[in-house]
Amino acid sequence: MSTNATCGLFDDRFLNKLEHLSFISKRLLAGELMAERKSRKRGSGLEFADYRSYVAGDDFRHLDWKAYLRLNRLILRLFEEEQDVSIYIFVDSSQSMDFGTPSKLDYARRVAAALCYVGLTNLDRVHVISFAGNIASELSSQRGKQQIFNVFRFLTDIRPAGATNAKGAFLTWCSESKRRGLAVVISDFFDVNGFEGGLDVLRHFRHDIFAIHIASPDEAEPQLKGDLMLVDAEDRMRRDITVTPSLLTAYRAEFERHCKAVENYCGRYELGYVRTMTDFPFEDLVLRIFRQGRFLK
Amino acid sequence: MTFLALTPLQTAALALGTVAAVLSLYFLKVRRRPVLVSSAILWRRVLAEQSARSIWQRLRLIFSIVVALTISLLIAFSIARPRIDWLTGKPQRIVIVLDTAPSMNTRTADGRTRWLHAVDEARALLGLAGPYDEFRIAETSGDTAFGFTSDAAEARAMIAQLAPGGVEPRFPVLDGNESHVYFVSDGVALRGVPRGTEAVSVFEPAGNAGITAFDIRPLPSDPLAYEAYLEVDNSGERKMIGVTISGGDEDRITRTVSVGAGEKYRETFDLSGFRGGPVRASILSKDDALASDDQAVAYLPARRKIRTLLVTPGNFRLSTLLKYDRNVELSVTTPASYREVPDVDVYVFDRYTPTTQPSKPALLLGNPLTGAGVLHQPRITSWSQDHPVMRHVGLQDVSIRNVVKVDPQQLTIIAASNDTPLILASENPRRVMLTFDLSSSDFPVQAGFPVFIHNALAWLSEERPAMHAANPLFFNVNDSTLGDDHVTESRASLLHHELWFYMLAAAIVLLMVEWLTYNRRITL
Repeated sequence: MSTNATCGLFDDRFLNKLEHLSFISKRLLAGELMAERKSRKRGSGLEFADYRSYVAGDDFRHLDWKAYLRLNRLILRLFEEEQDVSIYIFVDSSQSMDFGTPSKLDYARRVAAALCYVGLTNLDRVHVISFAGNIASELSSQRGKQQIFNVFRFLTDIRPAGATNAKGAFLTWCSESKRRGLAVVISDFFDVNGFEGGLDVLRHFRHDIFAIHIASPDEAEPQLKGDLMLVDAEDRMRRDITVTPSLLTAYRAEFERHCKAVENYCGRYELGYVRTMTDFPFEDLVLRIFRQGRFLK
Repeated sequence: MTFLALTPLQTAALALGTVAAVLSLYFLKVRRRPVLVSSAILWRRVLAEQSARSIWQRLRLIFSIVVALTISLLIAFSIARPRIDWLTGKPQRIVIVLDTAPSMNTRTADGRTRWLHAVDEARALLGLAGPYDEFRIAETSGDTAFGFTSDAAEARAMIAQLAPGGVEPRFPVLDGNESHVYFVSDGVALRGVPRGTEAVSVFEPAGNAGITAFDIRPLPSDPLAYEAYLEVDNSGERKMIGVTISGGDEDRITRTVSVGAGEKYRETFDLSGFRGGPVRASILSKDDALASDDQAVAYLPARRKIRTLLVTPGNFRLSTLLKYDRNVELSVTTPASYREVPDVDVYVFDRYTPTTQPSKPALLLGNPLTGAGVLHQPRITSWSQDHPVMRHVGLQDVSIRNVVKVDPQQLTIIAASNDTPLILASENPRRVMLTFDLSSSDFPVQAGFPVFIHNALAWLSEERPAMHAANPLFFNVNDSTLGDDHVTESRASLLHHELWFYMLAAAIVLLMVEWLTYNRRITL
């Protein structure tokens, strides 16, 4: 697969490395089709799971005849059924993500593409949803590695627009999609209504949530000085400020407080959390940090 | 407060203009640079917290304007050169008189001289002065005359031009408008200090042997023979002093004498073996503090008779008197045959005035050049006993029948009646003139007449050496009227520059602070 084929998101060498990875889900999620992921469902897998007494209607093929001869009772052998899992990749496409060099959205695209590839390689169902004030666009259930091109095209076509309202967007989406899965939220978590609302919605719908917090170095350490007019990228609101060293210090503290708030929230509800800067090497993030964070294996 | 560079009205206009300019500049709307941020959520929180808790944010604009106004007003007022008397003291006119007498060259214990100490004292006085004080530097030789200056550096340069000299010191004439007069001196050569003058002493006792008197005088027994009188004062420890009296060529007398501490050595030297001309006295001793008083020069007149030409229509008494004077080599002629001859020292014109002024000194007896009438039987009321011509001459018994009234003009009156001068003298040309005829007076028969003629001829023919004596002043460098107590100065000014200097410095400091705080956005 050439770089052009990946729409410039990453190269073949990196894709080869991704093929050895798979998602770690804290919960065993029920799937629909046979796949490579263990499920709670007992079925026609190869790996023995348990015994139980035969009841009418059970498949004769799973009767343990040796146990019948020994115990004179019909005992049914149970096997773990390997099923697929639904992976929902939520990409924040609000205007605030179009910031920094490279932009946070570009970085989010690459992270999403990598995760999608990992999911598709493991025969999971991959959904990609871009959101801002509402659901902006959605790439529904993709399965199989060959679908990765659809994912790349979808991600490339995402355009930054609007202000973030994660709660509204996730409520809309959850009300239409009942199946639980692994929800990966890639966002800067700048939400005028609070980042907690969106994650609360996913949590209440019992999704296994993993938050990837993307920030730009310019946000963490803004190089501002003097009398300025700040323009909010999302709502275009303007505000005159005079940047002083003490103001910059206060801002840095506020930024750190914001990041800690997201991290603490995820910790409180045992959600996966990784924070990264856009100047952090992307491959390191996927191959090392995600694995250390028990997100991929 | 007064302003030296601008009028109060101009200063007020400048201040108002400055305030208006600063305020208008401050309230001009500055276009802010737009900066796009990903989200203003965090900024809004920070600004809300800061504005809620900081009074400073509200006062910042006012404070910034006050600072800018202060800076600009400091600059504006410094242009006007303000003066505040209670802060800088009233401006004073200070005169520093430096004693430039030769004794100021006396070496002190630290290897320097009293003069160098005096210069230091004068500079210290300049340093103590206020910023608006004016200075005048004066000295006691009268050779230099500096005006008042307010520039201390200029005053220091004036001091640097001065040096002790060899002339007789005199306290300079001051105009009386001075606030303070300081006299920096050792109190040796110039002993009197005018009232109201504050003396700053640089005196320090010094071990010195110096000539305190040296003179050449004729012997009473032989007017053509001379002797020298020398006085040496030793103010140091007992020492051996080499004394040398030397004239031209081989003329030399030497002595080595032991002079005790505080003692004087006095001696006369017979100069009969010396030829005329300058005679130098010099002494030599160890550890001498002042070199300039180790030498003195006097002039020894050449020993020869006064070649005198008497021009008279006939005066037996006068011609006999001159003929038998041992100092006079007399020639006599009549007015009709008078003409100027080269080998004459003095002319004596009796009742005759030549049509052209003679080039040599002359004694004119009667028939003065200009007359304004005749006065009968004048009474001699005064005569100068200090003038060399009148030395040992009394006129109290002299009667005169007729005298010609003259206008003395530039001449010195050495004897006079109430109405007219009787005897006049002038230095240049050298003349002695009687305004009365000898035949109309009993002066020729008085005892003082031969003395008068002798004095007049001696004064008229006196040799004037072209050179001055090297040390005409004789003093004891340890005989000071001031002592070695230095003045304790109590009027030192806190400020040594004009107010504008400090205002401008404050403005610059404030400007730097404002620049720093502006860059840190503490001020606007």
